Amino acid sequence: MSDQHSGQPDLDAIGQRVSAARSATEARGETFYQGPSKTMLAAFPPIERWDDWVELDSRAWPKRVEHHSMLVPTTCFNCESACGLLAYVDRDSLQVRKFEGNPLHPGSRGRNCAKGPATLNQVTDPDRILYPLRRAGARGEGKWERASWDEALDAIAARLRAAITEGRQNEIMIHIGRPGEDGYTERVMAAWGVDGHNSHTNVCSSGGRTGFQFWTGIDRPSPDHANAKVIYLISSHLEAGHYFNPHAQRITEARARGAKVIVLDTRLSNTATHADYWLSPQPGSEAAINLAIARHLIATGRANWPFIHDWWNWQEYMASCRPESPQTFEAFQAALGELYAEYTFEFAAAESGIDAATLAEVAEVVAGAGTAFSCHSWRSAAASNLGGWQVSRTVFFLAAILGAVATPGGTFPNAYNKFVPKPIHLPPHPKVWQELSWPLEFPLAQNELSFLLPHFLKDGRGRLDTYFSRVYNPVWTNPDGMSWVEVLSDPDKVGCYVALTPTWNESSYFADWVLPMGHASERHDTHSYEQYDGQWIGFRQPVLRAARERLGETVTDTREVNPGEVWEENEFYIELSWRIDPDGSLGIRQYFESRAHPGEKLTVDEYYGWMFENSVPGLPERAKEEGVTPLEYMRRHGAFEITRGQGALYAEEVPEQELEDVRVSEIGRVYTAAPKPETLNVGPLGAPAPDDEGRRAVGVICDGVVRRGFPTPSGRLEFYSSTIDGWGWPEHALPGYIRSHVHPENLAGDEMVLLSTFRLPTQIHTRSANSKWLDELSHTNPVWIHPSDARRLGVARTGDLVRVETHIGYFVAKAWITEGIRPGVVACSHHMGRWKMTGHDHVSAGGMMATVDLAQGPEGWTLRARERVKPFASSDPDTLRIWWSDTGVHQNLTFPVHPDPISGMHCWHQAVRVGPARPGDSHGDVAVDTARSRQVYEEWMARTRPAGTYSPNGTRRPAWLMRPLKPAPEAFLLTTP
Amino acid sequence: MTSSGVGVGGETAGDRAATAMGDAAAGRWEVLRALGSVSRLAPPDGAPVLAALGLPGWSKADHTRLFVLELPPYASIHLGPEGKLGGEGSERIAGMWRALGLEPPADCDHLATLLAFYAHLGESSGACRTAIARDRLEHARSVLLWEHLATWLPGYLHALSRDPTAGPWCDLLGAALRREAAESEAPAGLPVALRDAVPPISDAFSLDELLDALVAPIRVGFILTFTDLTLAAGQVGAGLRRGERRYALRALLEQEPAGTLGWLGQHASAWAEVHGRGGHVSTLTAGWWRQRALDSATVLHRLSDLARDASVPAASPAAGERGR
Repeated sequence: MSDQHSGQPDLDAIGQRVSAARSATEARGETFYQGPSKTMLAAFPPIERWDDWVELDSRAWPKRVEHHSMLVPTTCFNCESACGLLAYVDRDSLQVRKFEGNPLHPGSRGRNCAKGPATLNQVTDPDRILYPLRRAGARGEGKWERASWDEALDAIAARLRAAITEGRQNEIMIHIGRPGEDGYTERVMAAWGVDGHNSHTNVCSSGGRTGFQFWTGIDRPSPDHANAKVIYLISSHLEAGHYFNPHAQRITEARARGAKVIVLDTRLSNTATHADYWLSPQPGSEAAINLAIARHLIATGRANWPFIHDWWNWQEYMASCRPESPQTFEAFQAALGELYAEYTFEFAAAESGIDAATLAEVAEVVAGAGTAFSCHSWRSAAASNLGGWQVSRTVFFLAAILGAVATPGGTFPNAYNKFVPKPIHLPPHPKVWQELSWPLEFPLAQNELSFLLPHFLKDGRGRLDTYFSRVYNPVWTNPDGMSWVEVLSDPDKVGCYVALTPTWNESSYFADWVLPMGHASERHDTHSYEQYDGQWIGFRQPVLRAARERLGETVTDTREVNPGEVWEENEFYIELSWRIDPDGSLGIRQYFESRAHPGEKLTVDEYYGWMFENSVPGLPERAKEEGVTPLEYMRRHGAFEITRGQGALYAEEVPEQELEDVRVSEIGRVYTAAPKPETLNVGPLGAPAPDDEGRRAVGVICDGVVRRGFPTPSGRLEFYSSTIDGWGWPEHALPGYIRSHVHPENLAGDEMVLLSTFRLPTQIHTRSANSKWLDELSHTNPVWIHPSDARRLGVARTGDLVRVETHIGYFVAKAWITEGIRPGVVACSHHMGRWKMTGHDHVSAGGMMATVDLAQGPEGWTLRARERVKPFASSDPDTLRIWWSDTGVHQNLTFPVHPDPISGMHCWHQAVRVGPARPGDSHGDVAVDTARSRQVYEEWMARTRPAGTYSPNGTRRPAWLMRPLKPAPEAFLLTTP
Repeated sequence: MTSSGVGVGGETAGDRAATAMGDAAAGRWEVLRALGSVSRLAPPDGAPVLAALGLPGWSKADHTRLFVLELPPYASIHLGPEGKLGGEGSERIAGMWRALGLEPPADCDHLATLLAFYAHLGESSGACRTAIARDRLEHARSVLLWEHLATWLPGYLHALSRDPTAGPWCDLLGAALRREAAESEAPAGLPVALRDAVPPISDAFSLDELLDALVAPIRVGFILTFTDLTLAAGQVGAGLRRGERRYALRALLEQEPAGTLGWLGQHASAWAEVHGRGGHVSTLTAGWWRQRALDSATVLHRLSDLARDASVPAASPAAGERGR
């Protein structure tokens, strides 16, 4: 097209034509300017081409062979981030060819870590379990026979029905690993009337959660890393191993803008290598450092006093702890200065081994953050030390002093950034209390005392008729795994063990039933996690089911599309519940029935269709714009962002209609007689108690206005915890410093500290072990030793064997001599040391499991490698290319249990003696004396202050604290012995 | 799903304003955005845009050859002292985004981003309610044009237009650039990138220094593509080593130093003519590039002569003859 007079192109006409083409394209909901996503990192296939995406087969080059794929979203099921995945389903074979990132996922934004794409390995793993299996020999003997799902369901349902009808609800337990979903399994147990939810959280994050919960009433933080000026991380765990991808990408953005990153980690982690300040403290001293920084902020006038005045429960503190002082804010300011005066930089330097000048410099950086201070502490220090929960409590202390709470670049309570849609049925709270998970000794425990289960069973506190492990491996994951082997092998303690698992693991060897469950692309779940200041939900789905539905087929059972007879938990539990209560007489079946067609079985399509239609604000409208149902929208997009920019919800005014017959307590807590408005978001948070006349806590008075406040007893941020004080621990009611069980004063002269809690970003405990790509990347766990320690201990070279002795046994591992660890401390990572027993040839994770001899003698248990990993023939030619033999050591077996008496968290750090291996030692050897582990258990139990003695109100536990599957109020009451 | 360009390629306030301004004004910006986008989007992604522009399609392989291998359209390659992606060349552009309170995208100096940003500024200024705000955006657009587009794009388009596949696109973009220049007053001084450019090459350069400079357009005043090197190899009778340009050029210089340097001198002279021929939209800029190419030609011819002299032993009769 040219201008006829000048010969020049008619740019206006061309421009109008392009504009028209763009408008027409976008009106169809398609993309005119395709290519780079908003992340500017990669080009993603635009959604309108997800039905037929064409790529050339690189291996066919130079021929141009086209691959036609359907792109179906799901979410990763490895760590808890739930990053979006996009399955490339071959249109011809209807097999998944690969997984890449889902660009429409608000949390992960199209990016994945190595574990996401490696889902393909899990799906195609030649060693995976494809059919239900029933134990054929003795427990642990390794003999199995294939069974039908009907046989398994009928047998298990009969046991469960008997236990429920005979009042033995507490003999039923489902032990989940990382849930990877929001509440489905809890509701199954509630429907059964069973308080049987058991999680891995007390070996994971409950120490970190405890510190946050006592401050905010919500047990997780949501740091707005992307907008922070200063990012303060106690250990890199979360940012390098858990929410690695969603957080790391936002930290990277912040750094590009000039944000400073401060990492406290005794070990040089991936995150520490990118930090502006890497502090390598003496393990357990982290809270002392936090308090020294806090003192500096207070002493130098950098505290955000208006925020503290409005939002801390300083009045309650003054009334409870300083009744003799003037009850003024000025008096509180002075008191605060006095309380932390001892935490000088010199004190923190003496505790941590980091010089005072460095600490002072870091404190100044923190002070400069203002309200753009994002912080996090999850595992590591909080999960490793006696009193570790004070690490996260003192981390949040810094944010609270700065007023960096729910501010841009600050730290939010996670409930602000999480949305759990109300489901189609909400069964009531169970009326029983599971003592095996929630014993009286730990009234303030954040989560179930799961890792003490073997000891409680040995104590005779109860027995389990039916124990489920669900994508979980208690023998391997927990400390003192041989005690688990002992109770799982004993039918008097565990009547029937059902392992719901995609792959073989160290626990399933001792099961009675092994039932195959699906991986990320083979199951339905919803989830929502705090990854930025917004709320989203993700949808995991069986991608082949969605693909076939796109082709016009109808799929009513996920087993129709999964490999072998692999199932998913949603449909499994619906079917199992119907068989427990076939005629509905137990009141269970109603929660697994269709709402549209009462009396018929609930389907997953109805379950999620109802949820998306009725409980996700904005989703029905968005779906309607595209001319699809909400369920179809989610099957198509895989995620939906509900809100962005939540801001300071605590400061919102409470609407007038919620204020009825109001009462205000002396500390400004507001109670109302108005009923709680129905909420679509049923995400977990604290539940402050009503007043004596039953009015519910609705807010707090602030500036003469009723504002929403926090879900704590006082309604404010709880600098002072009346709960901790009232339940027998007054000395720890304020943010403070508890000297760890591995504090130098608690170590013998020849003992060192072993860090065992760190992860590698390329594996995730045992869940990822059947991923060949990940196994090739990471398959061993040497012991990190500082060169000065190596010289002192006589360890000459990296690769030399060392023996690490704990208080109940020892393990033998290879040394890695590195300056990346503090002198006096050794470290050994998670994930490794996988094993299978001799004679269990048909069960495996071929690339990661050594074959071992497991033996029990008078001295205890021994585990010795008989055969290491080696190439082997299978349906996957890559198994012939295995080039490594070393799979590391299973160190957790040698750790005694260390329950923190307040949080209930297992304190992972170990006091160990390290030396060169002895004659006869072999890499991977483990020896454990479970009799000695019983003694250590009893020593730690002696630290507790049981509810029976210390409860201030005759209940087992403060009712306001969060608790998965909270029982009915009457179950909280202490029973008289 | 709308696409991106960090707010400059997708739906923006500017887009909405553009609608309000009417089709003609909107078309002015859209044609620039579209012309830029196809330099980034390989078929089939960019095919509808090419079609809307009325341009002939190109294959995925052509697109890769032109815009990935031969002449990646990044300002930093042409204006940065190292002739590479990133560094000073892109930081200067990123700074402009930041000055406007925007987060620069990772590839802020890619032609597609530059033109989308330019279009965005144009659309946004049309939607401004106050003169101050409008003037600020108009000033920013002018800076973008004269500092970050007119400085290198004419030379780039000349180099690319030698490939017939790219010719129509180069012609259309050249016309669009000229129109934008015609509607904007050229600044009185040289653009910063040229004013602060490192000095031209000299006889005293080591081989490594010379190689570094020859692949950086702003150092020598000309663009040297792999296709150019292929041509040079044929003309001087040396073997062409496959690899990056610097590697291939080193191999030519080591095999046939005098011939290669002489060819480079001719190449520089030819580019001096190109710069003087009127393809640029700024006479100041054109003059700077022409002078830089002439300086290079002088040095390269001198080095060629020196190399020829050094390669001939004094005792050799033939050398004596050649020396005369």
